[in-house]
Amino acid sequence: MELKEIKCNHCGHINPPGTQLCQSCGKMINEDYDKKKIKDLMRYDGSAVRSKVRSQSIFDKIWNFFTSIKIGVTIIALIAIAAAIGTILPQEYFIPVGVDPLQHYTEQYGTFGTLYYKLGFTQLYSSWWFVLLMGMLALSLIAASVDRGVPLYKSLKNQRAKKHDSFFKRQRVFNEYDTSVNPDDIAKSFTAKKYKLKQDGNNYLFEKGRLSRWGPYINHTGLIILLAGSMLRFFPGVYVDELIYAQEGETVSIPTTEGKYYVKNEGFTLDTYDEDSGTVFDQSLQNNQAMTISNFQTDITMYENKSADIVGSSPDLEEVDDYSIRVNHPYRFDDYELYQSSYDNSQMKSMTFRLEDSEGNVIGDNFEVSLDDPKDSYNITDDVTINMKAYSPDFLEIDENGTLVSETPVPTNPAFVFEVSTGDKNELSLLQIMNSTDITQDNEYSIKFVEAEEHMASVLTLKKDLSMPIIATGFVIFLIGLFIGSYINHRRIWINADGDTMKIAAHTNKNYFGLKKEMNAVLKTHHLAQVYDKQEKEENDKLKG
Amino acid sequence: MKKGTRKIIRTGTIITIAALLGITLYLNLRDGTQTVNVGDEAVDFKLETLSGEEIQLSQITDEKGVILNFWGTWCKPCREEMPDMNQVYNEGHEDYEIIAVNVSENNQQIEQFLSGLSENLDYPIALDKNRSVTKAYNIGPLPTTIAINKEGTVVKKQEYQLTKEDIYTFIDESLE
Repeated sequence: MELKEIKCNHCGHINPPGTQLCQSCGKMINEDYDKKKIKDLMRYDGSAVRSKVRSQSIFDKIWNFFTSIKIGVTIIALIAIAAAIGTILPQEYFIPVGVDPLQHYTEQYGTFGTLYYKLGFTQLYSSWWFVLLMGMLALSLIAASVDRGVPLYKSLKNQRAKKHDSFFKRQRVFNEYDTSVNPDDIAKSFTAKKYKLKQDGNNYLFEKGRLSRWGPYINHTGLIILLAGSMLRFFPGVYVDELIYAQEGETVSIPTTEGKYYVKNEGFTLDTYDEDSGTVFDQSLQNNQAMTISNFQTDITMYENKSADIVGSSPDLEEVDDYSIRVNHPYRFDDYELYQSSYDNSQMKSMTFRLEDSEGNVIGDNFEVSLDDPKDSYNITDDVTINMKAYSPDFLEIDENGTLVSETPVPTNPAFVFEVSTGDKNELSLLQIMNSTDITQDNEYSIKFVEAEEHMASVLTLKKDLSMPIIATGFVIFLIGLFIGSYINHRRIWINADGDTMKIAAHTNKNYFGLKKEMNAVLKTHHLAQVYDKQEKEENDKLKG
Repeated sequence: MKKGTRKIIRTGTIITIAALLGITLYLNLRDGTQTVNVGDEAVDFKLETLSGEEIQLSQITDEKGVILNFWGTWCKPCREEMPDMNQVYNEGHEDYEIIAVNVSENNQQIEQFLSGLSENLDYPIALDKNRSVTKAYNIGPLPTTIAINKEGTVVKKQEYQLTKEDIYTFIDESLE
C-alpha cells in the first residue's frame, strides 16, 4: 500500500506519511496511537520515523535495515561480546617477538588457541569482521540519527502555539481552571523563568532547553568522528608502533621514515637501587629477590640521511641531535616518539681464549675473537701466532671438504678451527664451547676458553599516532552530547485561554519533578491550584493496590 | 526534506561507508603480506660486492635481465645450487646478470663458504650487511630467487632450491 501525505483534519497542516501527531497542532492523526502508549506518546513529538514510511531501492532497503534500534543494539552487543572474547587469550602483540603465532597459540592453548587464532581474535581490532562490525555501527548511527533527528527537528520547528484540545488532555501534566486570571500575567512569570514565548491570540507556548533534544545526535556525531579516527590508523603513515633493536655502537635506520632518519645507540645504562643507601627503602629492597631497577637509559645520536635514498646504499649521515632516552622520557622528532622499551644481552659478541702448552703453562696474552667479524690471525707472542682457519657461529657438522657447517647464522654454538703456528711447526685444533678436539696428532699446545662477552642491545619502541587529535576531538564531542542530553531538560508548557476555561499542559523529555515544581511555583503566585500529573496518580493507585 | 535530498543522503552515506570500509580492509590485509610478488616493480638498490665494486640494480636492468639470488652460508640448498648457477652463467651471460645477495654475513664467513665450494663463482656477490635489501624485498626463506626483466618488473620468484632447469627458466623469463 502506498502511503500518502496526511492532511490534518483540524488545522489543515500537511504531514509526512506515518505521522502520529500533527506536526502543527498536535492532534492525533493515527487514532490507535495512544491506545497502547501512555508514556512515550511524545517520543520524536509523534512525527514519523522516516524509515518506516516506505522502501524502494536497494539503498533504501539497506538504510531502513540499519535505522532499526534493534539492529543498532545487536551490533553494539556483538562488538561488546567480541571485545570480551578478545581478552581471554593474550593479543598477538603480547606474544614473544618473532615466533609463529599459529604455532604459539596451538602449543600454549591447544585446539581453542588454534581456533582463536584462525577466527582473528588474536588481532581483534584489525580482524576483518571486527572492522566490518565497526562500519556497520557507523552506518547504524548515521541512519538512525538522520531518520529520527530530521523529523524531530521539523516537528519542533513547525510547532505552533495553538494546540488541539485533545492534545492538552493527552499530556501527562495537565489542569483546567475556571478563572479570570489574565493569561498574560502568567506568561510574564514564565518568561521571567527564561522560557521563550510563542503566542497566537489566547494560545501560548513556553519553551526552554530545546538543545537537550540534540544531545543524542551530538554524541552520535562524536562517535562517528571517533570511528573515523580509529579507521585512519589503518592508513599508511598515520599510525606506527614498531620495535627498534640497536646494539651498543650500532647505527640503525628508523623504520617508516623511508631511510631519512638513523639512530645510533651510544650506550645503554641499567642502574639499580642501592640496598645500603641508609634510606627507608633499604628493607624492602633487600626483601626483593631480584635487583630493583632505578633507571633504564639509552644514549642516542640522531642522524638525518642527506643522500638520495636508494635501498642498500651507504647513507650520508648528518648528526641532528643527542638525547638520553629514559622510561617516560621519550625522544621526540617530527611526529614520532622513541621510547625505552627493554634491552637484550642474549647475543654473543666475542669470546676470549688463552693458549697453554702441554704442561698447562699459559703462553702469551689472551686473545679475543669477535663473533660478528672475526680476524684471521692473532699474535700471542713474538713467535707464536694463532690463525683462525674456520669458524661456524652455530656448529652443526664438519663438511666433506673440511669446512665447518653452521645451522644458523646466529652465534649460539660457535666452533673454531685454530692453527697454532710457532714458525717451524703448525698444529690444528677444533674448538667448540664445550669440548675441543685435536686435528693434528700429538698436539703440544691447547687452546682454552676463558670467557664470553655479550652484546648489550637496547630495544626502543617507535610510536607515531596522527589519529589521536581526531579521536580526542570525537571523544570530547561525545561527552558534550552526553552532558547536553542528560543535564538539560527540554520543557514546554502550553496554555489555551480561548474558551471560558484556561487549559494548561506541559511536557518535558526528562525530570517531570523539576518541571512540576517550577510550574507550581508560578501557579501559586497567581493563586492557582497545582498541576495534575496522570502518571503520579497511576503510580499512587498501583501502590494502594 | 525533499525526496531528492533524501536519496542523495542515503545513497551517499551507504556508498561512503562501504568505500571507506573497503579501503580499510584492503590496507589491513595488504599490511601483513607486503612481499614482492610476480608483477610488482622491483625495488632499486645499490650494494657493494665482495670484490669491492658498487652495483645498482636499475643500471643493470637498463641493458640486461637480472636474476637475484638471496643466500646465506649456513643454508644447505644455497650451497648446492650455486655451483649449478655458476656453470650456467659460464655458458654465456651477455644478455643477463646473476647477482647473489648475501644476507648480512661477514666477509670471513663468506670467504670460508666460497673456498668450500666445488667451483669458483664468477658472478658478483653483493653484500647486504644491514639486511635493507632483504627487508625491502621481504625475503622469507633462503634461498629465494627472483627474475627481473629489462622493464624492472619481477617476472618470476621461487622460494626453494633451483635445479639446472629452473635456472634456465629464470634466465628465459628475465629476457622476455
